[in-house]
Amino acid sequence: MTLFLQAVADGLQMGLLYALVAVGLTIIWGLMEMINFAHGEFMMLGMFGAWGLSVSLGWDPLVSMVPLAVIMYGAGVLVYRLLMRRVQRGEIFTQIFATVGLFFFIQNGVVALFTSDYRFVNKSLLTGLSGANITLGDVRIGVPLLVGGLIALALFLILYLLIDRTDFGLALQATAEDRDAAMLVGIRPQRMYAVAWGLGTALVAVAGVILANFFAVYPQAGLSFTILAYAIVALGGFGSILGTLMAALLVGVVQSVTAAYFPPAFKDAFVFGSYILIGLFRPQGLFGRF
Amino acid sequence: MAWVAAALVALLYPIPFERSGYIYYETVGFLVLLNAMLGIGWNIIGGWAGQFDFGPNIFFAIGAYTAALLFIHLGWNAWLGLLGAVVVSVVICAVVTYPVTRLRGHYFAIATVAMWMIAQPIGATWELINGSRGLFIPVAAGGGFAHGMLTMEFAGRGKGLGFYYLALLLFALTLWGARAVERSKLGFYFRAVRDDQEGAESIGIDSRLYKVIARCLMAAVFAAGGVLYGFWALAVFPDQVLEVNWNILPMMAVVVGGLGRLGGAVLGSIILIPISQLMTATLGAGPLAGRGIDIIIYGAVIMLIAGWRPNGLLSLPWQRWAGRLLGRAPAQPAKG
Repeated sequence: MTLFLQAVADGLQMGLLYALVAVGLTIIWGLMEMINFAHGEFMMLGMFGAWGLSVSLGWDPLVSMVPLAVIMYGAGVLVYRLLMRRVQRGEIFTQIFATVGLFFFIQNGVVALFTSDYRFVNKSLLTGLSGANITLGDVRIGVPLLVGGLIALALFLILYLLIDRTDFGLALQATAEDRDAAMLVGIRPQRMYAVAWGLGTALVAVAGVILANFFAVYPQAGLSFTILAYAIVALGGFGSILGTLMAALLVGVVQSVTAAYFPPAFKDAFVFGSYILIGLFRPQGLFGRF
Repeated sequence: MAWVAAALVALLYPIPFERSGYIYYETVGFLVLLNAMLGIGWNIIGGWAGQFDFGPNIFFAIGAYTAALLFIHLGWNAWLGLLGAVVVSVVICAVVTYPVTRLRGHYFAIATVAMWMIAQPIGATWELINGSRGLFIPVAAGGGFAHGMLTMEFAGRGKGLGFYYLALLLFALTLWGARAVERSKLGFYFRAVRDDQEGAESIGIDSRLYKVIARCLMAAVFAAGGVLYGFWALAVFPDQVLEVNWNILPMMAVVVGGLGRLGGAVLGSIILIPISQLMTATLGAGPLAGRGIDIIIYGAVIMLIAGWRPNGLLSLPWQRWAGRLLGRAPAQPAKG
């Protein structure tokens, strides 16, 4: 029983970090229905940014998170303006094609600059706390992961309020739902798409910055998270930010509970198996509206 | 005319390389044909039936493994093994695909990714197929060209030429089959489901059934491709046949050429595969080796093509250009 409870607690914390990776995708894919295969590469760039600023200037990732988010917002807008705005005119499959190209470009650009070696952020507030635990009954909760999870939760709430409770958020949703009708009421769709790309990119880069405290930093770090993030957004349901959060927590728990009882090689298989199983009963995802 | 010319080029392509000894280009040709064939298969579900399938490589793997097992344990000829592989993968495809056709659009796409993610640990741990140690296909050397074409067993010098023609044969069969499907009732049903699922259902088309059929046709093509690849590589490893490239490359070829058109996959493969092969051969070696310079440029080329022609290169006015090149006046719209 303790093993089970411990696994659930670990899973919930991992789930919060997954939520952070997935939330940027909820905006670009779940809300605006644009496909971005290079999503995880922006996260990897965030990880490298955190590592670089930590090594060169000694900034803590919790600090460098802010300037990196601003820079990556600009990068996201740039990617939309230079590439995706043109690609959008074609079939949706062309977005896959173009972002696979972007994926190759970014990943190997980083390989060319930094090689594929593993790097670690050693000196930071969160890594300094490693070993600190909070005990609840028999369940131990690591403090660093908990802090990371709480940051994730905070960003999530801000985003939820932004998308669901402000005029700007409504304009984003309107653009996603019906581009032409949105134009009629004075919304400029291309600006909305650009902002969505900027926000999504900034958020996933922040996720990378936080993850750099816990995971190795290397150019191929993005793909496995991207695939999980896609499953999480679909499981949560299109256009639902709360759904993404719930799905991410569920994925974290499924992963860590099954890893406690079965060979760890199968932990992703269980996640994707539960996606299919849930999909059979809820074809629109857990909280999806369409 | 154009068809005859293309067929002649395809048939004669390897001859100069065989004579001059640059057999590397025969392998490039083999990869182009294999990828074009897979692209034609993927176009059935992606282009015609309009379903996002991001995980077709499981059928590539099932094909490669089935034929390898039949060859190793029962001594089946590769062509017989290919038939078996096609049957096995179509049956598995039907069984696993029917339930998830309840999911639509992006949800269906992630379900196909899910199948791939589930297949990976199975491939790496299942003892019947030797887990991550893989299966080796022992092939006797020195059978000659005709023997090789009948058994897919080539070793040594004649391998490049032999596999080029094996791939050409399977490619031609796939093209012929897909063309038949495109013009048949089945092809129209697929496109009806893509364009308006509710409308298609209202005139009595069972959309779930036709999605399953489309994916099974794709599975058959991928299984055949997997058999060819297995006998070419002389081994089947789970991380090789379940590699992400078998998902992405055929799809990319279709998109760069033109989605929904048979020529799209062919044109896309002819462009994408040689670019990546030649860049790996030239930039992948030398002082910058291992730094991924070739793939950076490849990625940039892909983005340029996508941004320049978001509807595929077949959307360019090729016929007008060809007409001008041959000195013929372009067709004029009728006046009246």
